[in-house]
Amino acid sequence: MTRWRARGSGPSSVVALGVVTLVAMTAIGEALASAPVSAAGKQTITFAESGLGSEGAQTQKAITGFEKANPSIKVNILVLSPNSTTYLQQLEQRFIAGDSSPDVMESDVTYPAKFGKAGWVKELDSYKPNLKQFFPTEVAAGQYKGKTYAIPWFDNPEGLFYRTDLIKTPPKTPAEVVSDAQAAMTADPALKEGIAFEGAKYEGAITAFATVEGAFGGKLNPADLNTKGNRAALTWLYDALYVNKIAPQAVTGWMEGNVESEFQAGNAAFAINYPFVESSVAAVAGPAKGHVGYIPFPANPGGTPGSALGGEMLAINAKTTHAAAAYKLIQYLTSSKVETARAIATGDPPSLPAAYTSTLLKAAPYFKQVETLNKYAQPRPVNPNYLQISSDLQTMLSSVFSNLSKPAAALAQAAPLVKADAAGTGSGGG
Amino acid sequence: MSTKSVARRLRLPSIGGPPPIAGVARKADRRLGYALVAPAVLLLLLVTGFPLVYNLWNSFHNVILSNAGAPQNFVGIQNYTELFTTPGFVQALARTLGFMVVSVVLETIAGLALALMLHRAFRGRGMLRAAILIPWAVPTVVSALLWTTMFDPRSGFVDYLLGILHLPGSQTTWLAGEWTAWAAVIVADAWKNVPFIAIILLAGLQLIPGDVYEAARIDGASTWQSFRRMTLPLLRPALMVALVFRTLQAFLVFDIIYIMTGGGPGSTTETLSYLNWQAFLVDTNFGYGGAISISLVVVSLVIAGGIVLVMRPRT
Repeated sequence: MTRWRARGSGPSSVVALGVVTLVAMTAIGEALASAPVSAAGKQTITFAESGLGSEGAQTQKAITGFEKANPSIKVNILVLSPNSTTYLQQLEQRFIAGDSSPDVMESDVTYPAKFGKAGWVKELDSYKPNLKQFFPTEVAAGQYKGKTYAIPWFDNPEGLFYRTDLIKTPPKTPAEVVSDAQAAMTADPALKEGIAFEGAKYEGAITAFATVEGAFGGKLNPADLNTKGNRAALTWLYDALYVNKIAPQAVTGWMEGNVESEFQAGNAAFAINYPFVESSVAAVAGPAKGHVGYIPFPANPGGTPGSALGGEMLAINAKTTHAAAAYKLIQYLTSSKVETARAIATGDPPSLPAAYTSTLLKAAPYFKQVETLNKYAQPRPVNPNYLQISSDLQTMLSSVFSNLSKPAAALAQAAPLVKADAAGTGSGGG
Repeated sequence: MSTKSVARRLRLPSIGGPPPIAGVARKADRRLGYALVAPAVLLLLLVTGFPLVYNLWNSFHNVILSNAGAPQNFVGIQNYTELFTTPGFVQALARTLGFMVVSVVLETIAGLALALMLHRAFRGRGMLRAAILIPWAVPTVVSALLWTTMFDPRSGFVDYLLGILHLPGSQTTWLAGEWTAWAAVIVADAWKNVPFIAIILLAGLQLIPGDVYEAARIDGASTWQSFRRMTLPLLRPALMVALVFRTLQAFLVFDIIYIMTGGGPGSTTETLSYLNWQAFLVDTNFGYGGAISISLVVVSLVIAGGIVLVMRPRT
């Protein structure tokens, strides 16, 4: 005991030791984090992405090409969650902590306005990006208050898939989608549903709704949500479940992967989904293989063919000390050659109209249809409070798809909440 | 100057007090004790105390982290006022308390039955005792995903089983209805947590001496009387531990809801912890989120205190 005391290891020393250890660990961590320039002058940057499988492999391939073209830059890939909500949270935690890593990141089309307003990502206009080369709707998704915060990487227009062996002529109106689905279900008992769509309580339900609403003259305008067009679109989806019975109630648990499986397995005559379904159906032997049509959702009189803009963009961390290297990576990844290679390998549609070349169309003819859909693709609200708006919309759609609320009542209830959230005056500040 | 203080000054042994050497040793022991627990206390302060104080501070300020440049000014009890005047919060509070009561009551009854069964001597008892712990050892996220698949109306086991047994509900889309979604969540929650209660109660049962039952049997007590008059009162300490743990876990339920229903259909399965997640990680509103957190802490303390008060052994 005496010897222990003689060494001066009193409680205060224990505290001091703990503090010193913490400080030392923090210092080592900081030193490691802020030492991406090696003695040889090589810079190391980190690129955050959510891609797994073929997308992840293709990103790795592109990064290897970039490093070969830029020997002074090494890129570490940080693979975050494939779930978009979790991915966003993982990024936000880093931003909030003031982390300079990742230097450059993949961003859903709905994030840049929020990132820009929060000051988390760098404003990119100083690099004078050639924005005219991209599809304009996706460029708009990367801007907030007239400034550009993200560059389009790939462009994912959601549309209507149909089985060409069961539906000989593509439907021209929403009513024809219903009658074609019913006829197909009667003709082919193997079909389990006329149409499959994303109905789970998540972001995909909003894109499914956004795909349909334009066809009825609706629009996801936070200031004016409860419109005739939106009511008609939501009623069409509700009726698909409970009146026309061309969709099963199981859609309330379906995300795009489930919808893809249903169409791929030959269970559905129609499916609302993203272009990747084309390549995934072609990859597996099944009743749908070789019988896939892909169109915008057919319009009612007064509407326009419907498609929702999905897609991914690239942004630079505001705290990075390697902005120039990060921007070089963005330029490389959004070059026509690299986007074309990605489109062929993964089915991710290029964000550059110029990339829809004969080479691409020869390798994957369905990109012709994707190019058409891109003309109609409508963005979701570009608003820094989009996540709160999304939360309101998800609750509304989930209520309707589960038959807890009727479309008109659900829209009337959600409209003021969405309006308040868009203005930043909603409950909980948001 | 008193005799005692003179004795202390002269370092003389005091009458009736402990010898000075023993006193010094005790003081040194106490210091060693403090030093030994200091790291644990520090760690606790860091991981529990700091977030609690930080949340408390946030709850009285306007802290929206995605609103760059906005001043984090003092707003008094505004976040709390907003909380209790928002229908979503009040509804979530009612749902959470409802889930807590129903799940804990059902799980406690099932856990007690399981513990009584495992307390009896039978072949393979040791293996069964180990096996029932498996659901508890499975991470909640995994068990929630597992049950989501089981409740799938197309390929799930639940509808299939109901179908082959010709029971009602075989065509149910469980997670699409308010009450059916809650039923599915409660079943999934019970599957994971009944073993936890059973093991705690089993430990309590093993502490009850066998001769107590023997005496009751000689006195002519029936099985029910033995259970009612002896097992339950003697099991009270173990039951209290199990109830405190499970009630608080049920009150703070999040992961099983997040995975199985996402708070839906609509917002019918949104609980307080779900709202808390939304405030912090979706809205990055740390002021409002802090107010929810502090409310959760206060209600948790009231619940735990209430259970201890009701269940504490009476002398």
